[in-house]
Amino acid sequence: MNAVAGSNEIYQESYAHRIWRHFEADAFARNGLRVVMALFIIAALAPFLANSHAILRIGDGRVTFPIFPSLEAIEWRFLLYVPLAGIVYLLRSRFSQRPGLSFSLLIGVIVLIEITLALTHPVNDPTNDRDRPASFKLMPFIPYSPIESTPDSFSPPSWKHLCGTDSTGRDIAARMLHGARTSLSIGFIAQSIALLVGVTLGGLAGYYRGWFDIGVSRFIEIMDCFPPLLLILVAISLFDSQNNMFYIMAVIGLTSWTGLARLVRGEFLRLSSQPFPQAARALGASDFRVIVRHLLPNALGPILVSATFGVASAILIESSLSFLGFGMQAPTPSWGDILSDARRYIDFAWWLAFFPGLAILITIMSYNFVGEGLRDAVDPRLKVK
Amino acid sequence: MTTYIIRRILLLVPTLFGITLLTFLLIRLSPGNAALLKGGGGEGGGRAMTAEVREQMIKLYGLDKPPLVAYADWVGRSLSLDLGESIVDHQAVTKKIAERLPLTISLAGSALVLSYLIAIPLGIAAALRRGKIVDRTISFVVFVLYSIPSFAAALFLILLVAGGDYLNLLPMYGADSLNAPEMSPLAWLWDRILHMILPVVCLTYASLASISRYARVSMLEALGQDFVRTARAKGLPERLVIFRHALRNALIPIITIFALELPALIGGAVIIESIFSLPGMGQLMFQSLDSKDEPVIMGITVLAAIVTLLSYLAADILYVVVDPRISYE
Repeated sequence: MNAVAGSNEIYQESYAHRIWRHFEADAFARNGLRVVMALFIIAALAPFLANSHAILRIGDGRVTFPIFPSLEAIEWRFLLYVPLAGIVYLLRSRFSQRPGLSFSLLIGVIVLIEITLALTHPVNDPTNDRDRPASFKLMPFIPYSPIESTPDSFSPPSWKHLCGTDSTGRDIAARMLHGARTSLSIGFIAQSIALLVGVTLGGLAGYYRGWFDIGVSRFIEIMDCFPPLLLILVAISLFDSQNNMFYIMAVIGLTSWTGLARLVRGEFLRLSSQPFPQAARALGASDFRVIVRHLLPNALGPILVSATFGVASAILIESSLSFLGFGMQAPTPSWGDILSDARRYIDFAWWLAFFPGLAILITIMSYNFVGEGLRDAVDPRLKVK
Repeated sequence: MTTYIIRRILLLVPTLFGITLLTFLLIRLSPGNAALLKGGGGEGGGRAMTAEVREQMIKLYGLDKPPLVAYADWVGRSLSLDLGESIVDHQAVTKKIAERLPLTISLAGSALVLSYLIAIPLGIAAALRRGKIVDRTISFVVFVLYSIPSFAAALFLILLVAGGDYLNLLPMYGADSLNAPEMSPLAWLWDRILHMILPVVCLTYASLASISRYARVSMLEALGQDFVRTARAKGLPERLVIFRHALRNALIPIITIFALELPALIGGAVIIESIFSLPGMGQLMFQSLDSKDEPVIMGITVLAAIVTLLSYLAADILYVVVDPRISYE
């Protein structure tokens, strides 16, 4: 390849491409991303990995798949949305060709899924195919449901219960696999809420400046004065919303947008004084168009970095809340809740603390590695390694 | 300089109003109130109370007033440092907080000091051997520490060294042993120190991680400055270059970030106190959240926010004081 062609190629490389290239070169970041994706896939497949219902059962003269009718709405949600995200990722080039159509299609699919799930009733089927005789049955790898109590309580890790059991004989491995769903979805959605609020408020403050900016900046200052967990604890406990997943997501999201808003405001202040948004305005572009098509894409790198770290901290907050008894609680499986159980029996039941602690550590570390990698990729000048 | 400080202090006033108003509205807009909980009218299942007495209570604590009027009342009283009295046991909120405050301060304070004492040498060591195995090891270990949730670490430490299946070196719960009142002052102090080791360790390692990362970056920046090259060029021993020229300049941003660490430390102390059953502010917070003890919740939240606010201010002022190059005139 001659020098001219080489320089041409670099010249044509898009911003997103360059970030991706830098990101991929970092082994920690690359593997962090792999772990995060694996966690989402595990969370989606959790009902097939750990369930008391057989995947395939031949008995009573019939062939049945008992696992499918037993799936709850949230399990379907993960099972459908994770592949959906994969499809969007694979079709990303088509997506950017027809953004309008693609977005309406995507929203249509999501609405369809949600309506179907809302129409189906909660299943709550306690049958267990483990002990039910059949001429042939294919059980999941871990043949226990996360909310199912077995007679052997406090059994240490063994081949029968890979991660042991808790005080009521629930299988910890099953609870861990299903608990991944709680942590990942709360982290992801809480941060999406924070992203929406932070980018909107910060963006408008940075773009319009003036009184709105002063108001938003003051409000951010006030919010930042509350120690992170304190405000969330007050909000959750006063509204009696323990164990309500959507409320917990909302509270975490609505208390953790300030960092993003500061960042977006700063970026918008910096960008809007540059010539290109002025040129766009001179060409008659509306404020909305300038913000969404010109300013936002240029601020996307730092926003993404901050959002990645934000997901890690949202997961940490969620597990702290469950641990303190303010978040998701038993029987809903959640890593923080297993740990809070561990606290009572810490003298002898080490496995209750070890496995969920490790899971939280791995998740948060992976997200942090991805965030670090992204930060270095977005702004190589900041590279500390 | 003086004008800058005065302006900053005046700007505190609207922020303080915002903090108190936000907390107040949050408490007021939530369903149910302490009188209902205490009177057994809610699901809390307190003592049975006649409707008449409950009405009296609601009047007494101003729970029937519109939120903004009640807020104005609260502000009026707070200006004379009267935060009201607890609905649960009728003790003054200031007294309740004052009883708990020393423990939380000593916990967060020793964690802060300790993390600085460990983090700065770590950061410097990493910066001096940039990219070498020492730097990589320190950076990686610090990164892992940063990702461990403090409550999980606390559980493991209890399991390993405090009376679990393994070592039994340190006490598991509480701030004092049961026989603490009969101890001599020295024995009491030793006992207290033993009880505080685990909580302080748990609180220290997380802030240690972020401070040492700052220290490393800050030291690297200082080492790249022209004056360091000049110092080397004029033949100063490396030790002097590092400690007298680079380190002094690197310390400025490191010291001022204590303000950023403080809110995290207060939040962390809430969890740690709850795990180790320490009778500090965190425990008081949980008790009052359970009983919806509005004046106490209000007092603690506002106090924590004010401490944070003041530490931000202190950091900004300190920044100007220690570095004459920065001026806000």
